Amino acid sequence: MSAPDPDIAQEAIEYAYAQGWSDGLPLVPVSQPLLDRFLAETSRDPDEVIGHMPQVDREVTVRTAAINAAMAGCLPEYFPVVLAAWEGLMRERAAKGGGWQSTSGPAPLIVVNGPIRERLGLNSTGGVFGPGFRANATIPRAIGLIVRNAFGVRPHELEQATQGIPGRWAICFGENEEDSPWAPLAAELGTPGDAVTTTLLRTSEFVDNRHTQDPEQLLGDFADTIGRSGSWIFRHAQVGLVLCPEHAERLAAAGFDRRGVAEWLAERSGRTTAQLALAGKDHADERGVRFPRGDGDPDAFQRTIADPSSMLIAVAGARTAAISMVVRYFADWSGGAVPIEAPVAAAVAG
Amino acid sequence: MVNPILDPTGAAPAKSAGGRAPRRPLRGARVGLLDNTKHNAMLFLQEVGRLLVDEEGAREVSIVETKQNFSVPVDDEIVSRYRAAADLVVTGVGDCGSCSAAAVADGIAFEKAGLPAAVVLTDAFTTTGRMMAGVQGDPDYEWITTEHPMAALTADEVRDRARRLLPEIVRTLTEQAA
Repeated sequence: MSAPDPDIAQEAIEYAYAQGWSDGLPLVPVSQPLLDRFLAETSRDPDEVIGHMPQVDREVTVRTAAINAAMAGCLPEYFPVVLAAWEGLMRERAAKGGGWQSTSGPAPLIVVNGPIRERLGLNSTGGVFGPGFRANATIPRAIGLIVRNAFGVRPHELEQATQGIPGRWAICFGENEEDSPWAPLAAELGTPGDAVTTTLLRTSEFVDNRHTQDPEQLLGDFADTIGRSGSWIFRHAQVGLVLCPEHAERLAAAGFDRRGVAEWLAERSGRTTAQLALAGKDHADERGVRFPRGDGDPDAFQRTIADPSSMLIAVAGARTAAISMVVRYFADWSGGAVPIEAPVAAAVAG
Repeated sequence: MVNPILDPTGAAPAKSAGGRAPRRPLRGARVGLLDNTKHNAMLFLQEVGRLLVDEEGAREVSIVETKQNFSVPVDDEIVSRYRAAADLVVTGVGDCGSCSAAAVADGIAFEKAGLPAAVVLTDAFTTTGRMMAGVQGDPDYEWITTEHPMAALTADEVRDRARRLLPEIVRTLTEQAA
């Protein structure tokens, strides 16, 4: 690579800022040749509409998504992952139901399975929720830029996050399949190989539990975090888990599979009506919000999780310590995985 | 030759302003209420409806619906139902990010269809309401603003709020915009 002209590069970066396209960080200015390299990574028609936001009647096409992915700093070969993640999010009720505009300021959780993790250098071990890896950082940023630019949902305008969540447009990692005791997440969902599993998160909360070997003490620790009242606004609050390898191994050794973990937690995560009354959240109607009513059985146990099959349980992170993350959904999760399109050349050859 | 920098926004469809519905007196009018599902919204709207009938001479509350999706503006089908059943509409209460913007779009859609509409938003969502008015091609659209928050009010406080906003709601529904 010959040394580029920094003055021209700076001018182009400032031009993109001036157009209002940026999320705050510098963007890669996109030209037609770069766009063409992105479009060459997919067999899909550049004009195909891959999303419509009824609130503002705006659309996004494969071409527009590619421009935003390139601006975000993606390499062309990341683009099929961006498309799969986007498709997964478009299946989410919350993403179509005003999630991008919400006061909650939710963030997509993007989990990638399959050999593509290695091919793209997608981190699945140490620091998966943090920075340092181009694919992990730029794929979710591309999603954020699509929302901002193609849908026109910008902070302080149509985007009304009260505080938003840490890691918004930055949570994307590979599942640590190599250190997981279980089958890959997407494979268990019926999509083996390269695939994306995604939903919208309200936040992530760590559980550090490294001084016991008892799997039920570990699960009890998760249940306490899952059941806290602050996160409840409706009758139930849906959550998933991103388990570190050590926690996953401890549970698997005791005979738990994903389903077993989810069922244990669904049964035991929650608070009594009396505990919830202390927070003014003791009652919720079927579809309504929680509010203080003060007439329930104080000892009745209210479950946080409505349905254990709604729990997304992934394994990611390093073997360095027993620290996992409870990931709290913005609303719910549609429960599927989206296959990532194979490289176009390989598809032709194959 | 220099390559131009590509635009990432796609072409936004331009919408045209629809104007205001003609106003009519409240006496004898059929009132439509459209609840956006937010906590206290239905109670507020029902109290406004009751006051419009009991104190302002409206004939009846003739249609009350709850939006299936609070974040999405009303479609033609809903607008048609209200046009058939009511002479004017009161809707809200916009007190969240997406529902506030949608409520403004609803008001604009009702006005475009010939139904005078009073839309209520809390003051925390003025900017997003204004953005949505622009998106709908009606940047000067006016709605009624009340203090945030609404969701934490008691039932009595909600009814007080309805009474306090009643004069402005009546003015919005009956007086031609300047």
